[in-house]
Order: sequence, then C-alpha cells, then structure tokens
Amino acid sequence: MRRSNPWVATVFFIAIFLLYTPLFYLVLQTFLNNPQDLNSGFTLRWLLKLFHSPALWEPLMTSLEIGVLSASLAVTVGTLGALGLFEFTTLLPTALQSLIMLPILLPEVITGLSLLLFFLLLRVELGFATVVVAHASFSASFVYFIMLEQLKKLDPQMAEAAQDLGAKPHQIFWKVTLPNIVPGIMGGWLLAFTLSFDDFLISFFTSGAGLTTLPLKIYSLMRIGITPELNGLSFLMICISTFLVLLLVSKEQSRKWVLKG
Amino acid sequence: MEPQSKSSKPIPATALVFIGWLFLMTFLPFLIILGMSFLERTPLGTISFHFSFDNYLRSFQYIYIKVLFKTVWLAFMATVSCLLIGFPVAYHLARSRGWMKQLGLILLFIPFWTNFILRIYGLVALLGNHGLINQLLMQLRLIHSPLEILYTRTGVYVGLLYNYLPFLVVPIFSSLEKLDPSLREAAFDLGANRFQVFWKVVVPNIKEGVFIGSLFVFIPMLGEYVIPDLLGGAKEAFLGNVMVSQFFVMQDWPFGSAIAGILSLLLLFTLWLQTRWSRFGNLKDGGNHA
Repeated sequence: MRRSNPWVATVFFIAIFLLYTPLFYLVLQTFLNNPQDLNSGFTLRWLLKLFHSPALWEPLMTSLEIGVLSASLAVTVGTLGALGLFEFTTLLPTALQSLIMLPILLPEVITGLSLLLFFLLLRVELGFATVVVAHASFSASFVYFIMLEQLKKLDPQMAEAAQDLGAKPHQIFWKVTLPNIVPGIMGGWLLAFTLSFDDFLISFFTSGAGLTTLPLKIYSLMRIGITPELNGLSFLMICISTFLVLLLVSKEQSRKWVLKG
Repeated sequence: MEPQSKSSKPIPATALVFIGWLFLMTFLPFLIILGMSFLERTPLGTISFHFSFDNYLRSFQYIYIKVLFKTVWLAFMATVSCLLIGFPVAYHLARSRGWMKQLGLILLFIPFWTNFILRIYGLVALLGNHGLINQLLMQLRLIHSPLEILYTRTGVYVGLLYNYLPFLVVPIFSSLEKLDPSLREAAFDLGANRFQVFWKVVVPNIKEGVFIGSLFVFIPMLGEYVIPDLLGGAKEAFLGNVMVSQFFVMQDWPFGSAIAGILSLLLLFTLWLQTRWSRFGNLKDGGNHA
C-alpha cells in the first residue's frame, strides 16, 4: 500500500534528470575542444588553462574571505538575538516579528538597492567592508531561526540543575548552554557562509567598482559570452559543491541544512 | 502586547544587539528607499527634497502597468507549473522509505548547492542558439534553424521553473509527511477508490501547507531580477529590472524608488492574502468537522 504510482515515479526521475542536465552539460563542455560543438573531440586544455588564470583565483579568494567574515558576524548577531528572545518568542509584538522576517521576505533587488542608498548617504566607501556588512544584514535572520530551533531542543532542566548546584549565570552560559548549541552555531554559520558565497545581487549593488567576488566575475564573463575558462571554473565549483554536500550528508545534522539550502 | 508586562524579565540586552542590527541594516535602508520615492528628480539629475506623489502617479502609465502584469502573470504561471511538477516529485519522495527518501531529497538539492549564477549559466549554455537542445535537435534533423528559447519569455519561464522547483517540493513533501497514514487506510477500508482518497482525503489535508508553500515561491519570483536579466534579455523585464534601470540607466532614483515601493506593496498584498486565506480555510474546516 506504500507503493508509489509508476507515473509519479517517472515524473520524479525525469525532474531529477532535468535538474542535472544544465550542470552535466557545463561539465561536458569543459572537456570539449569547441565547447559549442558536441562533435569536436575531447581535450584537457581548458581545465589546465584555468589553473593559470589569476583573474579567476583572486575573486575566489575575495568571496571566501567575505563569506567567512560575514558568516561570523551574522552568527554572532543572530545567536545573540535568539538567546535573548528565546523566552519571549510567543509574546513578541507583530512589529518585531515583521522586522525579523523583513530581510527574508524583502526581494534581494530591493535589499541591495536600499543598502546602496544607505551607504551612499552615510558616505561610506563601497568595497570589501560594505559587502561583508550587507551579507551579514540578511543572513542574521536566517541564523536566528536556526538557533531558535536549536534552543527549543535544549532541556531547560539542565540550566536549572546547574543553578541549583550553585553555578552563576555566566557559568551556566559558558558551561551548559553554549556547548549544547554548538551544532546550531555550526549549522547557522555554514548557512550564512553559503548565502554569502552564493550571493550575486547584493554584492552587485554594494561592492563598488574595485571589488570582484566570484559570482560577479562569472556574471561579467557571461556578459562577454561563452568562455572556455568559465566552463572549467563551473566544473571545479560543481565538484566542490557536490563534495560539500556529500560531506554534510555524512553527518547527522545534514538533513535540515539541505532542506533550508 | 508589551512583553515586559507579561513576563517578569525584561528583554535582555543581547536581543537588543540583534534588534538594533535589523533596524539599522534592513529597516532603515528600506525606509530610505521608501522616503526617496516621495522626492523629485530635478532636470539636472539631482534630487530635490520636495514631497510629492508624482512618481507613483507616473507609474500608472501603460508601459509600467504592462510590466507589472507581466511580472505577476509569469510568476503565477511558473508557480503553477512548479506545483504541477513538484507535486508528483514530493509525492514520490513521501512514499519512499528510509535511505531512498534521504537520497531523493539530497539528489533534489545538490544542484542548488552550486552557485546560483552558474546554474543560470548552465541554462544559458543549454538553451542558446548553439546550446545543447538546439545542437541535438539539429543533428537529429528535426529542425533546420535553431529554436529561439534564450532571451525570450520561454527562457525566463524555464529559468523560474528550474530555480524554484525544489523550494516548492519541500513544503508539499512536509505536508504529505504530516498526513496521518491511518486516514488513507480508513478511507480505503470504507470503500473509497484511489481517486476518491486523493481528492477527499489527501488534498483537503495538505491544501493549506501547499498554498503557503506556493506563496513562498511566488513572492520571491515577483522580486526576481537576475533570471529575467540573463535569460530574458532587454525585452522581458520584470519590475525589478525596470527599477534597476531607473537607478543606473535613467539616473532617476526617486522614480526607481517608487517602483520599489510598488513592488513592496505587491508583496504585502500577497502576504495579506495568505493570512486571510488560511484564516478562512480554518473557519471552513472547523465548520465542516463540527
């Protein structure tokens, strides 16, 4: 009785196949002599060329640095928020709930443009710092919700027991609460890093002229047209993300992150 | 509604860091763009601090109304298509067991751990005049000249469908998972056929979750910028694209801000519809079961 209808299964496998087609095609193109011609024979030339293009490695490093810094900032702010508001979640006024949801609901194009106006009004020079702050501005809310989930799992009796045994509030926090929410902190950090590393639009508006993140670089290469280096890069990034997913899957916590992805 | 009055403890200072951060980095910039929409652009291209509704009145022109309707229509069509494809996908996942279910979910999401821009690039490579689809069709001699898919409305539609499908599969999947299997069994025992079980037991129980899930796909589609930009070209602009071109091409910040205001209103209206609908659904269900 739990048997799936064959038609349903067929739609499932076709959908999965179609989701992978563009990515497999990018990988295939990496190894084609002429990426625009399926019959042009295979080569490793484009992949090797990739390792000699500093123009692509620099944006990669920038993206990684921005990701690490903005994720750390977002995790700090979001965790503080969740720790502070955890006991009040059912009592929060609608205005505050809307404020927390705002970065998640607002379209990226509005977030990006409004941050650009904000930075221009403050006369802040656009660049590395503005992108880090902008990324953390929208990912903090995502971290907040992950941390709330984590805190819900926490047994309140543990803190009470610690208190009965004479622990001071800061001792309870450092020795009881914090070690127990580490999985949430790691999950939140990873999500914030992914959001930052993946982000194109907000970086597009808040980076100014001098700074290029990896998605911005890919975008500008795309504007030129199909370039073989871009295919090499796609191949590399698909490998990295597949590897990351497999790494995550091997851990117990993974399912939730994949779902929130 | 004051939290302090209901609880003996005040909101801790740590929460204020978070609230302050949200206020400063999201709400204030949003207020600035809304405020900007009531200002005017001088002929010199500077902004004059003269309060007016002109930008909103200007947006009632045919070209902008057309863009608004096109945005809503395409987002709606893409959401409906995501539902039609997403439902069987979620259904299959919900019916599989153990590691098959796990594997299915992972397979669904691996492409979405790849960079967003790269996924779009993959679609450009696939759909273009020299792309995989056209190459295959031409080699099979089914067509003589390439099909125009990229930089058309179809391109935007495919892009929306591709990028949002898994995000609708998940809410449908979790609604199906929450469904008590004994309900279906009871219906079968009472002599219902598969069709009746589906329409009278499964659908009424999951429709609210599915509806809310659809809105969480529909809403970001309305604010989409990159997909129409890279897959639709200049002709297939969404509201977001018109807004950005007002900022960077026309240099008319107040008018661009007014479009942001309209887009925000549209989202607010959709969210309001959602709360109204779910309340209505609850009332109706309550009446039926009473």
